[in-house]
Amino acid sequence: MKRTSILFTAFFALAAVFVMSPKIGHAGGLEIGTTVESFTLPDLNGENKTLNDLKGKKGTVVVWLSAQCPVVKLYNDRINEIAEELAAKGINFVGINSNATESLDWVKSNATEVGYKFPVLIDKGNVLADKFGAMVTPEVYYFDSNNVLLYHGAIDNDRSGKNVQLNYLRDASASALGGKTIATTRANAFGCTIKRTEKQ
Amino acid sequence: MAAVLMSALAVSSAAQTSLQAETKPAVDGSRVIKIDDAGLTDVLKAKDKPRVVNFWATWCAPCIEEFPDLVKVDNEYKGKIDVVTVSLDSIDDINTIVPDFLKRMKAEMPAFLLVSEDESALISSIQKDWGGGLPFTVIYGADGGQVYFREGKFKPVELRAEIDKVLAPRAGK
Repeated sequence: MKRTSILFTAFFALAAVFVMSPKIGHAGGLEIGTTVESFTLPDLNGENKTLNDLKGKKGTVVVWLSAQCPVVKLYNDRINEIAEELAAKGINFVGINSNATESLDWVKSNATEVGYKFPVLIDKGNVLADKFGAMVTPEVYYFDSNNVLLYHGAIDNDRSGKNVQLNYLRDASASALGGKTIATTRANAFGCTIKRTEKQ
Repeated sequence: MAAVLMSALAVSSAAQTSLQAETKPAVDGSRVIKIDDAGLTDVLKAKDKPRVVNFWATWCAPCIEEFPDLVKVDNEYKGKIDVVTVSLDSIDDINTIVPDFLKRMKAEMPAFLLVSEDESALISSIQKDWGGGLPFTVIYGADGGQVYFREGKFKPVELRAEIDKVLAPRAGK
């Protein structure tokens, strides 16, 4: 009874509403083509935001971030650059931080320091990360305007940014916006494992 | 003529030594060898013994946490299995923080640093269910077949059990 009560409390406290049936793809996470319904998570000021509030007219990129991950640090400038570029095309970025080891203050100051050009939401208890199957940072999920997953995985093929040859996210969005088939819908990349809350 | 031949031989010998130096695994953690995608394919191949390959980086906190256990496993199973480490650190760190860390850990296993042309493709080729998170530990049987993998920190008890399992059929040989 007590456990049920805790579960309910946690559920409502997180204010995260998921009404979707996630399919697990071969490499984990949502399967390409899955439709996700809107979710609600607090932003860095504690104000609840929904996916439907934040999504762009042409789609959304949900990107998992970290305040401490060196790989994210290497990507931050590129993330902001792509976010601005895609925002101009009607695709909005939404940042998510699910790391149990990063405090709100830390995430907040880091977001200010980096100057993310999109909202960052806090996924306490890694509920959204679990639903999406997000494993590392940075990791992106690109949805069309109907919240159908079109691409999942790496932003590009080079962490350092010095030798980028495959712009997975940019190419996927360009293909989708151009009405073409996306050549690569899934690409993993080395990143920092999301530090999840230890389940009881 | 003899001088030219001697000179050619010297060049050939020097080239061979250089090639060996490039491909010969480090005998301990004091030297980290740079490998590319093709080099990794060779590193992943079991050489008559089961092989444990640990992908890690100095910037990866759980990698650092589990490393002492990896060193213990290497010491315990010396001669029975090969343990190798593959760092995903920047090439700029190959002579500095990577070997420094390995020295601190008293790591004696061959140590490599991977510089990949296409990390996404590489990850999928190693294990299709690897999401790209570190650390990542994989065990290959002596026949080269992958028998176990774990993304995230390994549990020492579980890793030892998996190694014992892969060693079991060889015990009677």
